[in-house]
Amino acid sequence: MSRVFNRRKLKFNQKNKEQQDDKLVPKPLYPNLDQNLEVLHFLYKDCSDMVFRSFVIADQTKAQLIYIKGMSNIEEMDSNVLTPLIQKADQQSINPKTLIEQRLSVAEVTRIESFDACIDQLSIGNPILLLEGNQQGFALGLAKWEKRGVEEPSGELVVRGPREGFTESAGVNTSLLRRKIRSPQLKMKTLKVGRYTQTTIMITYIEGLSDKTLIEEISQRIKRIDIDGILESGYIEELIQDNSYSPFPQVLVTERPDTAVSNLLEGRVVIIVDGTPFVLVAPTTFYSLFQSGEDYYHHFMISTATRWLRFLFLFISLLLPSFYIAIITYHQEMVPTTLLLTMVDSREAVPFPALVEALLMEITFEGLREAGLRLPKQVGAAVSIVGALVIGQAAVDAGLVSDPMVMVVALTGIASFTIPRYNIAIPFRMLRFPMMLLAGTFGLVGIMMGLLAILTHMSTLRSFGVPYLSPMAPMKGKDMKDTLIRAPLWKLNTRPHLTGEYNEYRQDSDQKTFRRQGR
Amino acid sequence: MIEKGKISALQMGILMYHAIIATGILFIPSTVYEAAKQDIWISPIWACPLGLLSVYIAYKLHTLYPNNTIIQYSEHILGTLLGKLLGFVLLLLLYTSASVMIWQYGEFVVSEFLPHTPKFVIIGMMVLLCAFAVHGGLEVIGRLAEMVVPIFFLLFFIIIILLLPDIEIKRMLPVMENGMMPSIKGSVTLYTWFAQFGIIYFFLPFLTNREKGMKSGMFSVLIVTFTLMLTNIIIILVFGNVTENFNAPLMSATRYISIAEFLSHLEALVMAIWLAGTFIKICVFYYAVVLGTAQWLNLSNYHSLVLPVGLLIGVFGMQAFLNSAEAAEHFRIVSQGFMDTLVYGVIIPMFLFFVAYIRKLRIFKQKGRRER
Amino acid sequence: MRCTKVIYFIGIIFFLLTGCWDRKETNDLWVVTGVGLDQTKGGEVEVTVEIHSPSGNEGDGAGGEGNQAGGNKTILQTGKGVSIPKAIEDLDTKLPREILWSHTEAIVINKELAETGIREELDFFIRHPEPRLRSYVFISEGNAKDIMALLPPLERSSSEVLIELAKSEILMKVTLFDLMEMLKGESGASILPMIDILPPEEGKQPLETIAYINRSAILEHGRMIGTITDRLTRGVLWFRNEIKESTVTVKPEEADGLISMKLIKGRTELIPKIDGNQLKMTVKVETIDDVIQNKTNWDLKNMEKHKMLEKELAQKIEMRLTDTLEMVQKEMEVDIIDFGETFRQKHPDKWKSIKRDWKERFPSVEVTFEIKASVLRTGQGSIP
Repeated sequence: MSRVFNRRKLKFNQKNKEQQDDKLVPKPLYPNLDQNLEVLHFLYKDCSDMVFRSFVIADQTKAQLIYIKGMSNIEEMDSNVLTPLIQKADQQSINPKTLIEQRLSVAEVTRIESFDACIDQLSIGNPILLLEGNQQGFALGLAKWEKRGVEEPSGELVVRGPREGFTESAGVNTSLLRRKIRSPQLKMKTLKVGRYTQTTIMITYIEGLSDKTLIEEISQRIKRIDIDGILESGYIEELIQDNSYSPFPQVLVTERPDTAVSNLLEGRVVIIVDGTPFVLVAPTTFYSLFQSGEDYYHHFMISTATRWLRFLFLFISLLLPSFYIAIITYHQEMVPTTLLLTMVDSREAVPFPALVEALLMEITFEGLREAGLRLPKQVGAAVSIVGALVIGQAAVDAGLVSDPMVMVVALTGIASFTIPRYNIAIPFRMLRFPMMLLAGTFGLVGIMMGLLAILTHMSTLRSFGVPYLSPMAPMKGKDMKDTLIRAPLWKLNTRPHLTGEYNEYRQDSDQKTFRRQGR
Repeated sequence: MIEKGKISALQMGILMYHAIIATGILFIPSTVYEAAKQDIWISPIWACPLGLLSVYIAYKLHTLYPNNTIIQYSEHILGTLLGKLLGFVLLLLLYTSASVMIWQYGEFVVSEFLPHTPKFVIIGMMVLLCAFAVHGGLEVIGRLAEMVVPIFFLLFFIIIILLLPDIEIKRMLPVMENGMMPSIKGSVTLYTWFAQFGIIYFFLPFLTNREKGMKSGMFSVLIVTFTLMLTNIIIILVFGNVTENFNAPLMSATRYISIAEFLSHLEALVMAIWLAGTFIKICVFYYAVVLGTAQWLNLSNYHSLVLPVGLLIGVFGMQAFLNSAEAAEHFRIVSQGFMDTLVYGVIIPMFLFFVAYIRKLRIFKQKGRRER
Repeated sequence: MRCTKVIYFIGIIFFLLTGCWDRKETNDLWVVTGVGLDQTKGGEVEVTVEIHSPSGNEGDGAGGEGNQAGGNKTILQTGKGVSIPKAIEDLDTKLPREILWSHTEAIVINKELAETGIREELDFFIRHPEPRLRSYVFISEGNAKDIMALLPPLERSSSEVLIELAKSEILMKVTLFDLMEMLKGESGASILPMIDILPPEEGKQPLETIAYINRSAILEHGRMIGTITDRLTRGVLWFRNEIKESTVTVKPEEADGLISMKLIKGRTELIPKIDGNQLKMTVKVETIDDVIQNKTNWDLKNMEKHKMLEKELAQKIEMRLTDTLEMVQKEMEVDIIDFGETFRQKHPDKWKSIKRDWKERFPSVEVTFEIKASVLRTGQGSIP
C-alpha cells in the first residue's frame, strides 16, 4: 500500500521537476530594445493592466517605460522620470546611461539584466526603464499601491502597551521592527516562495542572538516549499512545522511588533510573510503561547497572577464539562450531599444522559461562537439574543437541559476566551470533546488517561529542535523564571536557551534600583 | 547505539522515583503494618540501604561498560552463551514484573472505580498509552516524568495538609513497642520496592551527564525513603490500628478527608497522582523490557518490538492472578524473601560485578607476570 | 511508522466505542441519606433506608418558589433478610432504582440488634467501597425504622437531624471510623450515642418530631451491655479528653443561689503509674470557664469570691468524674475511658503482662484527681 503511494509520489515529483526546469536559467536581456519588447509583450499577453510607454531620451535614444497600473506612483514618474529625460540634452551625443545617472531624481534605481529580474521588479510595482542598445535595464523604486495604515491589532488587544500592529505590507512590517531595534544587528533575509504568487518572505533575526544553525534550518525548510501560492503565513506555518499531525501550534503567530521584537531579543526568528499582518515566531514552546506581551508591562506580581489565572482557565476550558460528566455519572460520592441532592433535583426531568446533554450543549455553544465570528455585524446582535435563549433559560424551562449544565457550558465558554492566543485556545477547545467521551466512558480514570495521552503527545513534539514542553521538561532552571511565573525584570538576567549556542546574558546583573544602606 | 535519545541525570532520578513510589504510597502502609504495627514509618529507613546498594552496583558496572546496558555487558563478562542465558532470565523476570504491575493497576481500577468495566479494556487502554510513550523513546518518557513530578508533589502535599486536622499523635505511640524487630521485619516487604532501583542499569548509558548518574540515583533513593516515611507517618497518625483494614490506606484516608463539609471525598486527587505515577512506572519497565529484548536479539531498532511486547505484558497482566486471594498469596511469598525484584535488582548485578572484578584482577595479574 | 499510528488510533476509538459499563445516571439513582438496622422478632435483620425523593423542577410552573417549608421529601423502604446483604437484596426488589450508598451519613442500629453484636453487621459497611467512614452511628431505644419514619419540621429528613445533633458535640459523636478504632482498641470497649424519639408537641402530628440523643450505650466487644445517662456521658467525655460543650452549675454553700458556668476549654491528661503490682492513674484536668449566670449576691470581681468559685467548680467536676468512674469502673467494669491504651503507651513492656487479665485488673486501678479549674471572665455586666 505505502509502496504504491511512494511510487506515485515519486512520479508526481518528477513531473514537477520537468515543468520547473525550463524556468531555472534566467534569460538575459537582449541589446535590441524591440527584441526585448517582443519578449515582454509575449509574456504579458492579455494583461490589460500593463502599460508600455515609449519615448526618446534627449532626442537620441529610444527608451521604454513599463509599469503596472495602480502599483506605481504615476505623478512621480511624470515629474521625476519622464520630464527630465525627455528634455533636450545640453551637449550632443551624451551617453544615455550617464544621462540617467545625472537627471533621474529617483532614490532607488536597480540595474536589471534578465527577464526574470524584470518580472520580479514589475510584480512588486517598480517601473522598468529599457534603453535601445543597452543590455541593462533600470528598475525604479516608485512602487506605490493602496495599503491599510498601521492600526491597533484587533486580535491581540492590550490594556497597556503600544497600539500599533503589523499590516499586510511586508515593507511596513520591517520598518516597524526596525523602528524598535535600531541596531544593524537586526538582519532580514528575503526569500520568494510560491510559483505564481512569488510571495516575499523575510526571515528576521538578530545576529549574535539567534543560533546560526536554527536560521539555516528555517531557511532550508522555507526554501523547499514549492506550491502555487502563499496567501497567508498559515501556509508557511503548516509547511514548516515539525509535526504536522499535531493539533498544537508549533509556531507563535502575532500581530504585534512589540511581541515580535521581544521574541527577537530572546534569540528567536521572526518570519514575515508579505500580504498578511500575522508574522510567525519560531521556535516556540508551549508555555510561551500563554504569555502575552502585556505580561512584561505590568507589575510582575500581577503578571504572575494573570498567568496562573490563564492556566487555571485553560484547565477549566479543557476539563470542566468532562469533570462534570464524570462526577455526575460515575463519582456521585464526591459531591457534598446537599449539593448532590440539588443536582439530582434539577436533573430529574432531563431526558438525556449527562454525556449527551453536555455534548449537545457544547456543540451548540461552539456553533454559536462560530456563527458570531462570521456573521455580519448587523446580524450579530440577533445571534446573541438567540444564543442566550438556546443555551439559557429556555432550554432549562423546556426540560431539555439541567441548570448546572448551563453553568458549566457558560463557564467553559468564558474560560476558553481567557487564553491570550487564539491558536492555542482552539486545540484545547477541540480536545474537550474526546475528553468528554472519555469521561462518559471511564469517569475520572478516563479523564486522567486522556490528560496523560495529551501530555505524552506534547512530550514528543519539538519546535525546530526545541522540546515543546521546555523549560519544564527537560527542566531548565534558569528559564523557569519566565514560564509559570514572571519574575521581576531585574531577575531575568538570562535569555531562554533554545538550541545550540546562545548568548546567555541579556542584561547586567544589578538592575534593581540601588538602595543605600541604613535608610 | 540502539537508543538515540539522551536524558539528563535529573530526569533519570525522577523516572526512578516514579517507578518506585507510584504503587508504593498506595500499598506500602497496609502491607508493612502487618509486621511493623505503629512503627511503619521507621521501616523505610531500614530498607533504604538496599536501594543505595543496588544503585551503587549498577553504577559500578556502568563505569566498567559505560556504553552498554546489562544485557550487553553480561555477554561480555560471562561469554556469549552464559551471558545470553543470564540475559534471558533477567528479561523473563522483568516481563513478569511488568505484568504484575499491570495486573495491580487493572485490579485497583476495577475494584475502586469501575467495578463493571471489563478489565481488558482498562488494561488495554493503559498498555496502548504506554506503548505510545515508549514508542516516542527514552526522551519522551523522561520528559513525561518531569512534567508529572511537580503535579505529583503538589497534590501529595495538598493531601497531607488536608489530612492534618484528623491526625492524633497518640496513635503513633508507643514508638518501638517491641524493640526494633517489628520495623525491621516490616522493611523486608519494602525490599521488593527498593530492589527495583536496580533497573537503573538500563538508563545509565543514556545520560547526558554521566558523572551525575550515581548522585541522582542515590538522591532518588533518599527521596523515595522520605516520601514513604511521610506517607506512613500520616497514615498511622490518621488511621492508627485500623490501617491494616484498608487495601490502600492513602486512598481511604483521602476519602475520609472532610473540611468544612465541602472538601470531602477527595480520592480523585490520589487517583490522579497514582494513575500518573503508575503510567510512568509501567512505561519505565515496559521500556526496559523492550530495549532489553531488542538488545538481546541484537536488533538495530526497538520500535518494531513496542506493540508485540505490549500485547505480551498486557495479556500476562490480565492473566497474572485469578483472584485477590491468589495475589495475596503471591505477595506474601514475595514479602518473605523470594523476591523477583531482588534477583534482578541486586543479585544478578552483584554477581556480574564480582565476576567482572575477578576477571579484571586476573588480567592484571597476567599482565604483571608478563611484565616480569 | 504510519501504520503503527493508525493502529493506535483504531485501538483508542475501539475502546471508546465499546460502551459505558459503570455509568449511573442520577435519574436512575436513589440517594440514601440514612440507614436503620433492626432485629425482627424472628431474628432477621430489617434494613430501612431513607431516600431523598427528587422533586424535579417540572410541573408547577409559576409556583416554583412556594416549596413546602421544610419539605419532607423522603421515601422510606424496608427489606428483610438473614444478613444485611440479603436484606438489601430484598430491598432492591422493592425499589425501582439503584441505591446510591455513598451519601449514607447516619446509621441507626436498634437496641436489640446491638445487644446481639454489631461487629458483624458493620463489616458490610466497611467492606463496601461506597459508604463513608464519616457516617455517624447511633443506637436507638425503639425501632430504627420508627426513627427513620419521623418527619422533622425543619430539616429535610430525620437522618439530617441526627447528623446535625451529632455534629454539635454536646454528647457523644461517633463516626464509623471511630467505632472501628474502638472495636480494634486494646480494651475492646466502645461507646455510642443513644437516641430516642422526642414526644411531639401538642397539636402536632405524631410523626412531626425529631429524634434526639439523650444517653450513651456502652458496648463490650461489639455487644451492648448497658447505658449511661447524659450526665455520666459528659464525665466519660472528660476522661477521653473529648469534652467540647458543658455547662456547670454550682451552689456555693455560703451563697444563696446558683452560679452557672460555661466551658471554654477543657483538657484532660491521664498519667499512669505502675507501683509494684498496683496500677495507679492520675487524672489531671485543666479547665477554663466563663460565668454565664449568677443568681447569688456574690460580687465575682472580688478576688476572694473568685477563688471560692473556682474551688467550687473544681469540686463539681471532680464529683462528676467520680460518679462516672463509679459507674464505669466499678459497676460496668468496661474500660471506655482509655485507661488500657494509656498504660500501653506509657509502659509498653509492662503492658504485655497486664493485658492478659486487664478485665480483672481494670476495676482495681487506683484513680486520683488533680483538677485545676479557673474562671476566666465573669460576664460583661450584671444586674444591679
